[in-house]
Amino acid sequence: MQYASPLIAVLLTAVFGLLLCVAAGRNPWAALYTFTISPVSTLYGVSELLIKAAPLILIAVGLAIGFQANVWNIGAEGQLTIGAIFSGGLALHVASDGVLLLPAMIIAGAVGGMVWAALPALLRTRFNANEILVSLMLNYVAQLWLSYLIYGPWRDPQGFNFPQSKPLVADALYPILVPGTRLNAGVLIVLVAVIVGWFVLKRTFVGFQLRVTGLAEPAARYAGFSTTRAIWIGMLAGGAAAGLAGVGEVAGPLGQLFPTASPGYGYAAIIVAFLGRLSPIGILFSGLFMSLLYLSGEAAQIELNLPSATTGLFQGALLFMLLAADLLVNYTIVVAPARRLQEKIS
Amino acid sequence: MSSLTRRNVLQLSAAGLATTVAGTSNLLAQDGVLKVGVVHQGPISDTGWEFFQARAWRAMEAAFPGKVKATVLDNVLQAQDAERVFRQLATQGHKLLMGTTFSQYATLRKLAPTLGVNCECCAGIETTTNLGVFEARSYEGTYLTGIAAGKMTKTNVLGWVGAFPVPQVIYNLNGFVLGARSVNPDVVCKVVWANSWSDPAKEKDAVNALVSQNADIVSGSPNTPVQGLAAEEKGIWAIGSTGDFSAYVKNKQLTSFELDWSAAYIEAARHTLAGDWKPTARWRGLGPDGFVKMTTQNPALPKEVLAMMSEKEQAIVAGKFHPFTGPIKDQSGKLRVAAGAPIADTDLRGIDWLVEGTQGSLPRG
Amino acid sequence: MSGVLISIVIATLVAGTPLVYAALGELVTEKSGVLNLGVEGMMLTGAIVGFITATATQSIWLGVLAAMLAGALLATLFAVIAITLVANQVAAGLALAVFGTGLSSLLGKGYTGTSLVLPPSPVAATVSQVAWVGQYLTQLHPLVYLSWLLFAAISYFLYRTKAGLVLRAVGESPASAHAIGYPVVRIRYLATMFGGAMAGVAGAYLATIYTAIWTEGMTAGRGWIALALVVFATWRPARVLLGAYLFGGVTTAQLFGQVAGIPVPPEVMSSLPFLATIIVLVLITRNRTLVRMNAPPALGQPFHANG
Repeated sequence: MQYASPLIAVLLTAVFGLLLCVAAGRNPWAALYTFTISPVSTLYGVSELLIKAAPLILIAVGLAIGFQANVWNIGAEGQLTIGAIFSGGLALHVASDGVLLLPAMIIAGAVGGMVWAALPALLRTRFNANEILVSLMLNYVAQLWLSYLIYGPWRDPQGFNFPQSKPLVADALYPILVPGTRLNAGVLIVLVAVIVGWFVLKRTFVGFQLRVTGLAEPAARYAGFSTTRAIWIGMLAGGAAAGLAGVGEVAGPLGQLFPTASPGYGYAAIIVAFLGRLSPIGILFSGLFMSLLYLSGEAAQIELNLPSATTGLFQGALLFMLLAADLLVNYTIVVAPARRLQEKIS
Repeated sequence: MSSLTRRNVLQLSAAGLATTVAGTSNLLAQDGVLKVGVVHQGPISDTGWEFFQARAWRAMEAAFPGKVKATVLDNVLQAQDAERVFRQLATQGHKLLMGTTFSQYATLRKLAPTLGVNCECCAGIETTTNLGVFEARSYEGTYLTGIAAGKMTKTNVLGWVGAFPVPQVIYNLNGFVLGARSVNPDVVCKVVWANSWSDPAKEKDAVNALVSQNADIVSGSPNTPVQGLAAEEKGIWAIGSTGDFSAYVKNKQLTSFELDWSAAYIEAARHTLAGDWKPTARWRGLGPDGFVKMTTQNPALPKEVLAMMSEKEQAIVAGKFHPFTGPIKDQSGKLRVAAGAPIADTDLRGIDWLVEGTQGSLPRG
Repeated sequence: MSGVLISIVIATLVAGTPLVYAALGELVTEKSGVLNLGVEGMMLTGAIVGFITATATQSIWLGVLAAMLAGALLATLFAVIAITLVANQVAAGLALAVFGTGLSSLLGKGYTGTSLVLPPSPVAATVSQVAWVGQYLTQLHPLVYLSWLLFAAISYFLYRTKAGLVLRAVGESPASAHAIGYPVVRIRYLATMFGGAMAGVAGAYLATIYTAIWTEGMTAGRGWIALALVVFATWRPARVLLGAYLFGGVTTAQLFGQVAGIPVPPEVMSSLPFLATIIVLVLITRNRTLVRMNAPPALGQPFHANG
């Protein structure tokens, strides 16, 4: 029953989408095909689905660890950017090649994300500053920092003065798993993250503490679970995951640094986390679904001539439907006149 | 688990529908119709960069009625997504792919040799296997607008709102200043960088900031009428640089030029249809097949200024005059282009310095 | 020199006005105990609805009205999910932000880059004749002056009327308010809708007056800054006003600084508003007592009517 509400939400969003298509004068069955089957009807399509889902799932797992503890990390986008900066910077300026370059980049990316997440964690634990706002503001700062680097000191001197860094050497890129596609070894990291995330949340004491802190903070404190520690773990988990996703983009589909590193993965991952009920296994599926939504949006433009704004609209609608479906699944609605309720209370 | 079964059911019924639907999908190319894939980075609007690209592919469709059909995607913001989209277009029967911005150039450079279809990229630099490039010598246009500005300024201070300090914008700016100083050597131009291709609020603030520093003519690389409207509000002149906004800026647009990519799109389609497409580098400015077209001139421009602009335009089109002919010094006084000779194309493509008379800096590496 | 100063002051007031509206609206919402994070989405939707209406009717005021309705409508959607369906307010607010942004992009499809050009208002022409100050007064749209009236009205309402007291009571202890017999749910709905309407006005101001143009995502994070403003104004309307102009100032300073030749990379200047938000947030909220004394105690907590 736990997974019923995401399914209801998916179905409701699908209905909403089909109604939109009909209103726009499109054949609903053709639309259904375009949205669900067409993007994954080839090997390349499936590999793209996985490549796009990978950062979403990775970040969502990290965020879920925090969300379960009521730690709201909205800064994944910025943490991803800093992860890209750290790992890209390492590859471009510090080392030039060698078998150790890629592992070093992975570590650098995770560290970068954690550093950027440590800022809101510090400001929350020491100064009680709301981590939602701090992490969000830092997204903009991170983006501007990357922009400064790419338009300035890190610009490729051989790049005709275009805003891009030098292309990364082959040793700095994830090896491709399936030739002819972009599916790279980074997805293995995602699988590891899902397993580790699931294990930590469901099978360790730390995970238990985090979940209790999120559900009933006073009880958690009474039991001796430190809220400060929960905040740190929650934020750093999200930061590390987002930083790793940043490496995944730079050492993966991008192959160099551009003025932006992410098409909004940090924000989409929040929706993925909720859609997956904040559970790593659920996130695996919701990440794949969200990835399908992105690909469907492009297929809809190519095959149905629908506008590009459809994707963002669907993502928001999906989250709304999820929250509504949540209620239907978790609560029983009792229709009773107000007076009788008041009598019940007194 | 029950959730898996339910998900499977959804997929199975969709698969069943697929067989009925396959016939209606437009994945099958109709015989004889050339499908051209066009990918926009931003949203297509009524003015600005994407609008010019859109106008060009519409002109292409109109030039070959019934024979050429464009499939258009917009808002493909990131290079990662552009790569997938180009590949999808190539595998779905599109024999000609048009990239519309320089951020797609790296992607197309990587993809074109492998895709087996013809590719063209606007604002790209070098051709490669299966990839042609085209770009506008928009500095020819800004030079002419600079002449108008140099003649019409009363404060001798011009303003430029730059988006990002990339070569296209820099040589446009330099062209503007060179043109202005060729008729008015005392003119200076102040530069503000907005750090965004389209942030109307910031562009408006930038214009206001320039006005407070005495600029009485502003130009830039606007994608929207905001700069022109802001100038009009303050009672100063605006220049429609790479865009004619006179429909909105009713009184105070001094002069303007537009980018017209139709020639590039039409030629690419024509050669693809005829089967003799080859990767070409087209870098054109003013002139009949060019990409730069002068447009609305304000009636307030005196006849002799118009005559000067027209004379220079003809000289440029005839190949007799190059706006970047030396001696040209940069802001620090260093001689960048020797006397009597025009600047080399390669130096223009990668330009990273501002000409004498420009006030403002470039982010340095 | 004084010309530059006046330009800076006017630019600051103009830049701060959308923040004033959005933040004051959110303040009222939060005072009733509801945390609506979807301000960015409501602002953007308000912006496009206002822009479309103003273009169609050639009247900015009708555009503003339409934007208020749009903002209130979106806020109601959020209210249904967060108040009636008692869902997690943070998640619902985020959903609203994403949905509102996507909706605005969709609605704005045919209007991107178009400009709103209206004939100059005869009222403005008369006002500008006033000696000395006339020319400056008309550089600010009436909505700027109305924002000051709004501030005064909200302050009066919250602290000097019974209705305001009830609203604050609902935010402090909804259970007690409910026990006394006040309609908690209805009050929260109204407060949330008001917040949405104000966010709509902020967006409309941005799109129809400030720049008279629509582009996707044009609020560029102002909705989130408005949220931060409410926090570090410690939920006091006067401080919201000051904070909004502080931000307006930081935003315009970077451009004036560039023109004046200050040799700081433009990206650093562009980061200033966001860094300033963090710094001020930290300075204010580190005093836990101050926050606890001013924040509505029931903020963000769902209210179950039957205990």
